[in-house]
Amino acid sequence: MSLLPLAIDLVLALTLLWLAWRALNSPDLFRAVVLFIALGLVLGLVWVRLDAVDIALAEIALGAGVTGALLLAALAKLQPAASQTDELQTAELQTAELQTDQAAVMAPIALRLFIALLLLAFLAGLGFAVWQLWVPAPGLSNLVEARLDESGVAYPVTAVLLNFRGYDTLLELAVLLLALIGVWSLSTAPHLGDEEPEPALAALSRLLAPLMILVAAYLVWVGAYAPGGAFQAGSVLGAAGVLLRLSGWRLSLSATGWPLRLVLVLGVAVFAFIGLAVIGFDQPLLGYPPGWAKPAILAIELAATLSIGAILAALFIGGRP
Amino acid sequence: MSSVLVFALAGLGLIGLGLYGLLVQRHLLRKVLAFNVISSGIFLLLAGLARRAPGAEPDPVPQAMVLTGIVVAVAATALALAMMLALRSATGRTRLEDHGDED
Amino acid sequence: MPMLLNGADWATALVFVPLLAALACFLVPRAADWLGVLAALLILLATLGLVQDLLSDGPLRVAVGGWGAPLGIDLWADGLSAALLLMTALVGLGVSVYAPGYFAAHPQQQRWFWPLWLLLWTALNGLYLSADLFNLYVMLEVLGLSAAALTALSGSATGLNAAMRYLLVSLLGSAAYLLGVALLYHGYGTVDIALLGQRIEAGAVATTALLVMAAGLLLKTALLPFHFWLPPAHGSAPAPVSALLSALVIKASFYLLLRLWLDLFSGLGGLLAALLPELLGLLGAAAVLWGSVQALRQRRLKLLIAYSTVAQIGYLFLGFPLAGVQAEEVAWRAVLYLALAHGLAKAAMFLSAGNLLQFAGHDRIADLDRAVQRLPLTLTAFVLGGISIMGLPPSGGFVGKWLLLESAFTQGRWGFAIVVLLGGVLAAGYVFKVVGYAFTPTEIAQEGEAVPLRMQWSALLLAFGAILLGFSAPWLWPLLGVGDPFGLPIAEVGAAR
Repeated sequence: MSLLPLAIDLVLALTLLWLAWRALNSPDLFRAVVLFIALGLVLGLVWVRLDAVDIALAEIALGAGVTGALLLAALAKLQPAASQTDELQTAELQTAELQTDQAAVMAPIALRLFIALLLLAFLAGLGFAVWQLWVPAPGLSNLVEARLDESGVAYPVTAVLLNFRGYDTLLELAVLLLALIGVWSLSTAPHLGDEEPEPALAALSRLLAPLMILVAAYLVWVGAYAPGGAFQAGSVLGAAGVLLRLSGWRLSLSATGWPLRLVLVLGVAVFAFIGLAVIGFDQPLLGYPPGWAKPAILAIELAATLSIGAILAALFIGGRP
Repeated sequence: MSSVLVFALAGLGLIGLGLYGLLVQRHLLRKVLAFNVISSGIFLLLAGLARRAPGAEPDPVPQAMVLTGIVVAVAATALALAMMLALRSATGRTRLEDHGDED
Repeated sequence: MPMLLNGADWATALVFVPLLAALACFLVPRAADWLGVLAALLILLATLGLVQDLLSDGPLRVAVGGWGAPLGIDLWADGLSAALLLMTALVGLGVSVYAPGYFAAHPQQQRWFWPLWLLLWTALNGLYLSADLFNLYVMLEVLGLSAAALTALSGSATGLNAAMRYLLVSLLGSAAYLLGVALLYHGYGTVDIALLGQRIEAGAVATTALLVMAAGLLLKTALLPFHFWLPPAHGSAPAPVSALLSALVIKASFYLLLRLWLDLFSGLGGLLAALLPELLGLLGAAAVLWGSVQALRQRRLKLLIAYSTVAQIGYLFLGFPLAGVQAEEVAWRAVLYLALAHGLAKAAMFLSAGNLLQFAGHDRIADLDRAVQRLPLTLTAFVLGGISIMGLPPSGGFVGKWLLLESAFTQGRWGFAIVVLLGGVLAAGYVFKVVGYAFTPTEIAQEGEAVPLRMQWSALLLAFGAILLGFSAPWLWPLLGVGDPFGLPIAEVGAAR
């Protein structure tokens, strides 16, 4: 084995740790968020090095992209929120915050030292356990390989996600919807995106949005054979939605009621409906009848992509429609 | 093989740094960042170790689990950030108050 | 008797009815009230169907998608899961009937309450039915996110602060659990509990997995010293939410811990397997005493009830050291009785507190002002719930404590026996403190708002449930034994079907 790949891995790993440390300890919040997004991008590279292209795509689209956008949006709302409220109150708030912040940005030094020591002991134990695991084991890859033909897709990761462990994926879609319902239930969540659109951005979005929708469709389709799939496609779709929104496009009022909610629940609803309907054909729960796996998975993925895109865009925008 | 070891160790490091940040930092946005760093570390262990078998294709099952985990982490982050903003607009604070149970 | 629906169908319904009802309530908020109550009735029906099936045909294993473990995800139901599903169905129905009355004054909260609560219910049922460690992780996350969002529903500064802390605690707990799942998967090549039970061996991997998973789940269960997040969260949430959190949500992480202990870790032997139960027992005993004393000191009713929960969680952990030697079965059955009784009684008490809050506009204990005369049904519910919490006969709490004492006596563990008795005395103290003030007129007479009857009766019926549980032994006892959850590892009886 040549030394070059090892050197690259070492550099990547050290960069990860350095970025994480800086992201968590930088005094400036904006810088912290930017460093965190960089961490997500480097993680994407690490996943490529580990031959996990799906995770790399998801990490970059969701871990760095969507999470980063959510963090930046939250940061933007944290800062002007103060300047919009009553001047006097703001000044009081800010001084109060400054005073307490200096005293309490972090725990006291003795406590920090104690926590650090405890964590080092914990990591040593965890490291020992991981070392014990250092016997090559195939895991379940042989089993997945053996039954891939029955799954309706040719790509193992998609087969696990949408068929072998489809029940998890159904609930994962529910988690996304749940997060949005939770965000909407917070009556005070402020709005974003009501500012005037930038003309240049508007023009760019009109060009980009159709392209992104095409990319999303491609990602769903390719997921059956290669890395890709509903979650990556959904995040591209969500990004398209955000861009359109930022460039001034709005859902018409009549569409923000139940039609929007219908799009949001479509992924879970279609998945659950198909999963239950098969019981009527003498199949187990979520067990597709022979020959029907492929169209069923495609239908689920298309519905899921639409919902994921809509949910992610709605999460970014924040306030209720 | 060796890259797996390097990245497993990096995963451990991320878990440690994230836990430290979660316990030590007071600003809620930093706590949310720390939670994401911890998750990334766990994902590196979960899917990274799937690459132990030399030469073979990586085990797809933990990869699918990590994909699920990433989506869950994004959902949790979105809710946590929205809650932080709601707390901020209700109290003006972006930290947790320790003795908030006596009104 | 030939049944139209079999066990697998009932299990499916238990997850999909609340899930689809959550979607429907989100889509059509105007119909949410009756949709929610309808779903609650259907879930109770499905639970009874499943219980009937388990009693006649033994434990149930369902291969989702037909793949079967280790490739696919399996569902598993035995006496332990059935008992908790039953408690969830009863408390869930009570709270669902109560909620429309409570939220009538807060339509904005009501709109989000239904989808969040039904998703929480999906996670609870899914968790009790899952045999797959990673699927359980997803369920834990659905549970944690929905519980935190429900806590924030009141929108008050205290509520948001408590919800935010609860969310972070819950996320950290799930992360620790997932770390354990990662270690176990790579150590033994499966996440199915039954298969893991066959394959797991003593060693660094199993020990580390046990420690991180236990730490994460203890954090979520709020065992002392991890209880810090619980009183503010349970004390500041809307009353029906407090009832759900105290009665149901903490039981789910306790159940998972118990399940992992029984099926994976208790048989490993070694120093840790010997020490951990003793440590959990000591923490449990400390929680009983400390939580009860704190409850006595509270001036607000909901916080008093919340600290009482901290104490009652402690009892559940006394089972770990007491189940050690031969008395195994009895100690676990005692713990399960206590968990069920606490679920019904505590839900009744929080709903009663909600009635008093709605009536008087506050929940200061000192200003209850003859509530007994003005809300007799509600006070009856509170006292009946309190009787079960104290452990007086003939309640479900009494049966649980009696069995726990029996187990402690036969093993000569006098210390634990004294803690059980002392906890009961302290509980009597805080329950009668409330009752005393409810009989006392305050200097300035308080005006009261009307409290709808559905709110009073749902609290009262749940309290009756806690008392009736004391008479249920002939029927509940065989159910608890289905699949022998407290005996052999499930792998050995897993082949039953």
